[in-house]
Amino acid sequence: MACILFSRPADDVTLNYLYYYSKELVNLSNSLGHKTINKEKEKANKNTILSLIINQKPILIMFNGHGSSEVICGHNQEVIVDSKENPEVLKNSITYALACSSALILGLKSIEKNAICFIGYKSDFALGKDPDSEASPRYDKVAKLFLEPSNILVSLLLKGNNVRKSIEKAKEEMMKNIWYLQTTNSFPEAIHYAPFLFSNYSSLVPLGNEDASINND
Amino acid sequence: MSEENIEEIKKEIAIERLRQAPSTIKISFGNNGGFMNRDEMIKQVLDNTETGKKIINLQLEYLKAFKKGILAGG
Repeated sequence: MACILFSRPADDVTLNYLYYYSKELVNLSNSLGHKTINKEKEKANKNTILSLIINQKPILIMFNGHGSSEVICGHNQEVIVDSKENPEVLKNSITYALACSSALILGLKSIEKNAICFIGYKSDFALGKDPDSEASPRYDKVAKLFLEPSNILVSLLLKGNNVRKSIEKAKEEMMKNIWYLQTTNSFPEAIHYAPFLFSNYSSLVPLGNEDASINND
Repeated sequence: MSEENIEEIKKEIAIERLRQAPSTIKISFGNNGGFMNRDEMIKQVLDNTETGKKIINLQLEYLKAFKKGILAGG
């Protein structure tokens, strides 16, 4: 039984979208019989998450949160993992950071410290929002185009696919959505969201062992 | 042409592309936790903020991808 850890802060509008969309991943992980540890909102804090990583040794960690090239944050932008302080906490894990830019430095440092694989973004993660949705993720047709590819990636990892295939499928979905945004007439902003989704496409990278899966740790 | 001029041209291209978008477009990009509309994105570019520089870069990368045919298929 694989141990999966989710860190899901929700203390601003953007994070609330990530929080909403990742809920189905927590449910999927549970339904697949994985030992699923879900820390959300204020429980997505440094002490709690680090303690769980050390004691439970999750094979897959999904971080939602703000970030930079060097850090991943939790609730209230508290730094949880810092390339200068504790990149070794990710050792022996596959990490997916749905956060800005953390693949640039933190991801590389974690691999140096024996992380199995770090999946993240080299640039800021872009998220489009439907102006008519009134910040309700459930009804937001634009946010769906940005966040469903990320969910496909994690779903495939949870089902035991390796990193390479999971990223490939997520990128296929991103490209499909970019094409949709370029060609649809269903809302006037559509084509102008495409460069931002293409930025996510370009900056999503795996670092470390792309053949890794939660089944072959 | 100097590097400074090239950077100014890149900035103008990005701004012109953003100006073509409806004012209602909403994007979260970076760590401020909120969404920017069109005019707020243009301001980031004009003010030479880090976010503005990244917006210029992604607009240019998108155009390059078009030129290479990466975005030509369905």
